[in-house]
Amino acid sequence: MPLWFIRGLRRGVVTTRYPARPDASATALPTPPAFRPGKLTRELADRMISVCPGPALSRADGNLIFDAGACTACGRCALAAPDAVTPTGEFELATTDRAALVKMIPILGEER
Amino acid sequence: MNPLVVLYGAGGAWLAAALAGLLAGSSRPGLRACCALSGLGGAAAAAGGGWSLWYGNTPVVAPGGAATITGGPLQLQMTSLAGVFVALLGVVAVAIALYAPRYHEPARGTALYLASYNVALLACLAVLAAGGMVTFLVAWETMSLACYLVILRHPRRDETARGAFWFLALSEIGFLLVVAAFVIVSAKTHATQLDVMAARGHLVPGGWRAAAFLLALAGFGFKAGLVPLHVWLPEAHPVAPADGSAFLSGVVVKLGVYGIALFAFRLDPVSGAWPGLVTMGTGALTAAIGILYALRERDIKRFLAYSTVENTGIIVTALGAAMVFHASRQTALYAFLLIAGLYHVANHGCYKTLLFLEAGVVEHTTGTRDMDRLGGLVHRLPRSAVIAFTGTLGIAALPPLNGFVSEWLIFQGLFQGFRTGSHLTAILIVLAAATLGLTGGLAVYAFVRGFGIPYLGMPRTRQAADAREEGQPITGPALLAVACAALAVGAPVVLTALSRTARTVTGTALGPLLLPGKLTVIPAHADFSAFSPTYLAVFLVAACAVPVLIFLAGRPRAASVSVPVWDGGIVRFRPRMQYSAMTFSAPTRVTFDALYRPTVSVLRASDDDPAGRSGPVHYDAQVTPVFERYLYRPVVRAVEWLADAVRPMQSGDVNLYLLYVFAVILLAYLLGAV
Amino acid sequence: MNPGPDETATATRLRAQIAAQFGRSLHIRTLDTGSCAVCEQEIRLLSAPHYDLHRLGFFFTPAPRHADLLLVTGPMVRAFTLAARKAYEAMPGPKVVVATGACALGGVYRPDPFVHGTVDAVLPVDVWIPGCPPSPLALLNGLGVAVGRLAEKTPGLTFIAGGDRS
Repeated sequence: MPLWFIRGLRRGVVTTRYPARPDASATALPTPPAFRPGKLTRELADRMISVCPGPALSRADGNLIFDAGACTACGRCALAAPDAVTPTGEFELATTDRAALVKMIPILGEER
Repeated sequence: MNPLVVLYGAGGAWLAAALAGLLAGSSRPGLRACCALSGLGGAAAAAGGGWSLWYGNTPVVAPGGAATITGGPLQLQMTSLAGVFVALLGVVAVAIALYAPRYHEPARGTALYLASYNVALLACLAVLAAGGMVTFLVAWETMSLACYLVILRHPRRDETARGAFWFLALSEIGFLLVVAAFVIVSAKTHATQLDVMAARGHLVPGGWRAAAFLLALAGFGFKAGLVPLHVWLPEAHPVAPADGSAFLSGVVVKLGVYGIALFAFRLDPVSGAWPGLVTMGTGALTAAIGILYALRERDIKRFLAYSTVENTGIIVTALGAAMVFHASRQTALYAFLLIAGLYHVANHGCYKTLLFLEAGVVEHTTGTRDMDRLGGLVHRLPRSAVIAFTGTLGIAALPPLNGFVSEWLIFQGLFQGFRTGSHLTAILIVLAAATLGLTGGLAVYAFVRGFGIPYLGMPRTRQAADAREEGQPITGPALLAVACAALAVGAPVVLTALSRTARTVTGTALGPLLLPGKLTVIPAHADFSAFSPTYLAVFLVAACAVPVLIFLAGRPRAASVSVPVWDGGIVRFRPRMQYSAMTFSAPTRVTFDALYRPTVSVLRASDDDPAGRSGPVHYDAQVTPVFERYLYRPVVRAVEWLADAVRPMQSGDVNLYLLYVFAVILLAYLLGAV
Repeated sequence: MNPGPDETATATRLRAQIAAQFGRSLHIRTLDTGSCAVCEQEIRLLSAPHYDLHRLGFFFTPAPRHADLLLVTGPMVRAFTLAARKAYEAMPGPKVVVATGACALGGVYRPDPFVHGTVDAVLPVDVWIPGCPPSPLALLNGLGVAVGRLAEKTPGLTFIAGGDRS
C-alpha cells in the first residue's frame, strides 16, 4: 500500500469549509490597503500616487481616489507611506457594480 | 412452360438491344431504344430467374439440334442455383437500363459500347443457362471479350488500355484453367452435358477430382477476384464507365462465384474436408486483404473495387464452410450456409451496383473520382446522397438493411463450427469467423470514410462546390435502393425461395429449420439463436421515432435563438481543416504496416531549413503493390525469358525452315509406319 | 441580469430565481483573453482537494454550450474579440459573465491598438472579482455572489482604517 495513502489517512480531511466557515489561511493573503485619513497628507498622497504601478490611486477634489479593482496588492504604497497605510485583510471583494470598487478617502487639510 | 422460355425472351431482347445499339447507338433516340430493350430483357430475366428458384431444375434443351460450329450442341438448362444469379442479372440490367440514357453521351464509341454491353448480358445469361460444357465455355469466353470491349469505352484515355489489358489477360489465364478443369471431369465421365457429368461424378478418381476442383477454384477465382488473383479489379474498374464497372462488380464477378459453386456442389463434390477448408481459408484471406487495401484508396472506384474483393471473400468463405459441413455430414448447416452465401450474392449485387452508379454520378457532376477533392455533396446532390447512403448502410452490414441479414446468417453458420466432429476443422472455422469479424469492422470503418469524406463536410475544391444534380440519373439507383430495403424486410420470402434452391442442390429441405414462425429466422438448429429481420426493421424505425416524439412534446414554447455552431472561436471554418481520406484511415496504415509496406518520399527545396519555409515540400506515400511486384512480374519475366530462349527458332533463314519441314515429314512418316 | 439600485424588487426576485436555478449546480467555462496565466493557476487550484469547488456544486466544462457562467480573465486583447463574442453567444441563456483579475477590471492596461483594456468593452459583465491574482477563496466568494448564495461586502467597505469597516 503506498505510503501516501497511509499518510493521507493520518492527516485527515484538508478541504476548507469556506464559505460556510472562515478559512484559517485567509489571514496570510495579500490584500488591498486601508488608509488613515488622519495621517494622509497631500505630499504623502502624491508620493503614493507616483509609486503605484497601476491606475489604482489618483487625486481629485481633495480626495484620494482608490480603485480597489485595479489594485494588485503589491504593497508599494505601504512602503512609501507606512504611517498612512495598513492592510485591510479583506479578500471578499466581489461585486456586481464596478463603481462600488472605487472609494474616496479624504486627504488631510484639503478643501472638498 | 418453364422459366427457360421466359429467358429466351430475355435473350432475344438483349440481342435486339445489341443490334439497336450497334446500328443507332450514336444518336440519342437510338441510345434510348437500346436501353429500353435492355431493360425489358432485364425484367424478363429477373422474372425468369425468380421463377426458377421455385420451379427447380428445368430439363435440358438443345435448340438447333445438330452440332453447331462450336463442335458440340448448344445445350441449355435453367437450374435453381443459377436462378439466383439470373435474377440478380435481371435486376442489375434494369437498373443500368434506367441509368444509361442520362449517363452516356451519344458519341463515337457509344454504339460499339452498347452493343458489347448487351452482348455481355446475353453471354452472362448463356453461361448461367448453360446445360452443357461447350455452351458454358463458349459463352464464358464471349462474356470475357465483350466485357473487355465494355471496359475499353474510352481507349484514348490514360490507363484505360492498361486496365482493360489486365482484365483480359487474367480472364484468359482463368479461362485456360477452367477449360482444364472441365476437360478433366468430362473426359473421366465421358459426357459433355452438365447433368450427366454430375450424375456420373463418382467415376472420376480421387486425385483427378482434387486436381479438377483446384483448377476450377483458381480459374473461376481469377474472375471472382480471390487474392492473389484479384489484381485486375482495381485496375479495370476505375477506367470503365460507371455502369460498366457496376455491371462488372455486380454480375461478372458473381459468375466466378457461380463457377466455383457449380464445381463444388454439382459437378465435383470432393469427399473429405480439405477442399472446403482451402476454399474457406482463401475466402477469409481475400476478405481481409480486400478491405485492408480498400482503406488506402483515394479513388472512389478503386476503393469500391477492393470492396468487391472483400465481399467475394465473404461469399466464398460461406461456400467453403458449406463444403466443410457437407463433408462432416451436417446437412442442415450445409444447406444453411449455401443459402447464406447466395443471399449475400444477391445483396452485394444490389448495393455494389448502386454504389458504382452513384460513383458515376459523382464523377460526372464534379469531374473527379478523388475523395480528397470532394466534400459536401450531400447538399449539392441530395437525392443521390440519400441513395448512396442506403447503399453504404447495406454494404457496411448495418441493421436493418440487407447486408446485415446475410452477414448475420453467415456468421451464425460459422459459429456452429463446433458441430463438425473434428477439432482441427472447428478451430479453422473459428479462425475464418474471426477473420470475417475483423473484415466486418474494417468495412464499417471503410464505408464511413467512403461516404463521409465525399458527401459530408465542406467541399474541398471548387469542382465539388459547383456540382449540380439536374440531369443526373436517379431512377436506376433508386430502384436498387428499394431492392436493398426489400431484400432486408422481405427476408422471409427470400429465404423461402433460397431454401427451395438449396433443396435442389443439396437435397435437404430446411423449411422449419430456417423459418419456424412466419418472420423469425433460426440458423438450422433451434437451440442456437434466432432473429427476425422484419421485427428488427420495424423496431429500429419505431426507436428512431421516440426521440422525435420527445422533442415534439417537450420542446420549450418560448422563442428560441439560433446561433452558429460552436467552432472553438475560430474566425472561419476552412475545408482544409477537415479530415482527408488518407488521414482518416491512417490508423490502419500504422497497424498493418507490414502488409502495405508504404514507401514515403519527401522532397524539400533545400535541406537547410527542415521546417520547409524555404519552399514547397513534396510528400508522396505509396502502398507497395505486393502482388504485382512479387507474383506477377516474376511470372511475366519468366515468360519473356522463355520467349527469348525460343526466338532463335524463327531466324528468318529459309534453309532452316526447309529443315523443319523435312524433319516433320520424316517424323510423320516414322510415326505412321509404327 | 444587472440590477441597478432602483430595481431592488426585480433584483431580489431575479436573485431568488438565479439562486434556485444555479445555486446548487453551476457549470463554469473559463476564458483567457490574454492574461499572464496566474489567474488561471488560481482557478485551476479550485479543483484541488484543499478548495474543491465540486462540494459546492460548481463544475468546469470546456463547452460553452453546456456552460452557465463565463469566467473571464485577461485584458481582452483585440485579436480575441471575435472568439470571446462567439463563446458568449454560444452559451444558452440564462448566463452570467464574471470578470476576474486586475487586468480584466481595467486596472493594468490602457486601451490601445492591441488591447481593449477591460472585459467590459466586449462582454456584458455581471460580477467583478478583483485581485492580482484573486486567491481561490476570493474566487469562491465571487462565484457565490454570482449565483446569489453570498451577499456582497464591497458596497459596505470604505478602505479607511478605523472607519466603519476596513
